[in-house]
Amino acid sequence: MADTGVQLTEVRKSYGSMEVIHGVNLSIPDGAFVVFVGPSGCGKSTLLRMIAGLEEVTDGEIAIKGREVTDVDPSQRGIAMVFQSYALYPHMTVRDNLAFGLKMQRTDKAVIDERVAAAAAILKIEQLLDRRPGQLSGGQRQRVAIGRAIVRQPEVFLFDEPLSNLDAELRVSMRVEIARLHRELGNTMIYVTHDQTEAMTLADVIVVLRDGRVEQAGSPRTVYEDPDNAFVAGFIGSPRMNLLDAVWRGEGKVELGGRAEDAPIAGAGLTPGDKVTFGLRPEHLIVGAAGGIEARVDVLEYLGGTRYLYCQLTDGQPLIVEYRDGPDVRSGDTITLGCPSDRRYIFNEGGLRIR
Amino acid sequence: MTTKKEARARRALFGAGSYHGTGILLAVFFLAPFVITILSSFRHGTEARLPPIPPWPTNGFSLDAYRSLDSFGAGVWQHTLNSAAVAIGTALLTVIVSLLAGYGFSRYRFMFKNALFVLIIATLMIPFQSILTPLFIILAKLGLNNSLIGLTLVYVTLQLPFSVFMMRNAFDAVPKEIEEAARIDGARDLRLLVRVLLPLVLPGIVTVAIFAFLNSWNEFLAALVLLSDNSKFTLPILISAVRAGRLGAIDWGAVQAGVTVMSVPCLFVFLLLQRYYMRGLMAGAVK
Repeated sequence: MADTGVQLTEVRKSYGSMEVIHGVNLSIPDGAFVVFVGPSGCGKSTLLRMIAGLEEVTDGEIAIKGREVTDVDPSQRGIAMVFQSYALYPHMTVRDNLAFGLKMQRTDKAVIDERVAAAAAILKIEQLLDRRPGQLSGGQRQRVAIGRAIVRQPEVFLFDEPLSNLDAELRVSMRVEIARLHRELGNTMIYVTHDQTEAMTLADVIVVLRDGRVEQAGSPRTVYEDPDNAFVAGFIGSPRMNLLDAVWRGEGKVELGGRAEDAPIAGAGLTPGDKVTFGLRPEHLIVGAAGGIEARVDVLEYLGGTRYLYCQLTDGQPLIVEYRDGPDVRSGDTITLGCPSDRRYIFNEGGLRIR
Repeated sequence: MTTKKEARARRALFGAGSYHGTGILLAVFFLAPFVITILSSFRHGTEARLPPIPPWPTNGFSLDAYRSLDSFGAGVWQHTLNSAAVAIGTALLTVIVSLLAGYGFSRYRFMFKNALFVLIIATLMIPFQSILTPLFIILAKLGLNNSLIGLTLVYVTLQLPFSVFMMRNAFDAVPKEIEEAARIDGARDLRLLVRVLLPLVLPGIVTVAIFAFLNSWNEFLAALVLLSDNSKFTLPILISAVRAGRLGAIDWGAVQAGVTVMSVPCLFVFLLLQRYYMRGLMAGAVK
């Protein structure tokens, strides 16, 4: 098990009689960058805090590098955490902020100085070491918070929405920096976010959570191209996948708005007449395909490189189309839409993907 | 254009003038009693008995009033020391107890937490004069009547509800993440409290200390009732004795000197601590 960074086994968390994490099993390879995503309240932060030891585990087991740490004190788990709100010690200088954890472990002074200097160099904050957090900008504070994690030389880095308080531009540059940091340090990193751009760009493995359950775990490509269920399909991707009500007709056909559409499945487990969900990503729809799905354009958003068309099908179901180039389309126009058959997703009534 | 510029300059001057003028006027109103008291405490013995106009010494400075003040009770030094011991003791004890209680009420979950907290706050509604008799009896049973330690304990008790409330709010204002970061860094319990949280709630501590010090320094009734030994009296009792006069004659000079002796330490305590009292230390911690 040496190559397992973090292992969660049937991890549960309840507050009183309310269970919020329902038996999560997860094996995170050593050195992987794992991102927990999900809507707010899905338990992603709670799960992270349980790994950190800040929340008690009601049931189940957590192991870090093969060592069981379920009831071990946070400081002894070999983890370091970066908080959304930075959580710097405002009364200490940046240097003392970085050194505090090592001082608590009674580390040798020379070692502390060396590690603080190294971390400061990695994050390019050497010139800030004698300032206090109050004198720093948001991005600088976040660097210090990351620095405080680095000096601990942890097995696992935990990030709890670290970029949410930064402005859009800074967020992009810090995102790149965190990716660089992961490449340089090579530690296991677990990162919680609700921003799927961060998730897609940073992750080796994305873990999609909903209501305290893992919906799917896999590479960004897997969760995007091969979602296990309608929730993951709708959550990953922006704008979200169009999930349309349709009826299974059998023999590779579904009925959508009164027309038969090709569905790329054999239909095992479905009987003709079953309700299904037909999933089409906005970016895969081709405007002007002959014999395609008919839709009327309601609203048009121009974004420069691309345009989003908010359309209605003939039966009134809403549909978003990403339109890159081609003849001008105006609101009120009727367009026909096509989609490659390997980009069509069918989900059964329970939301599970039919392959 | 020049006229516009001039008009703007005139308006700015008027604005600044009225702003500072009002400030100076208010400051004069607040400072006048202190200045008059301190100046008139330096008048000659005979002059001190005259109507206090003008309030400053006309026949040169003299310390007669202070000498006369010293002749009351067990000497002004003894009473000042008593008062200082009680006030400093009260401030220290109040800070220690309310710091721990505030932390507990803010961070721990335990049974009847809110009920207990409301109970503590509710004691603020009881005028302490009404429980003076039971307090006296309790102290007598404990053998602490007529002792400065007993008086200090009574003051701490009276000071605690407000202080616990104050410290709970101070701890509530400290973001949980800072504490969690410290826990990950390996600081626990007392070290966490002293190394990380104490500096963050310092404004609260200072506020509690200032209030505890000033209230116990100035308190009169409980001291009068609970102390019976002349040498143990605190300053307010001394001043009331001076104010009552000897053989029907009141030494106004001594009264003024007493008031001066009493107000100077308060002034120092406040000036010393006010910069912490004012400062919001939380800037830069989060966000």
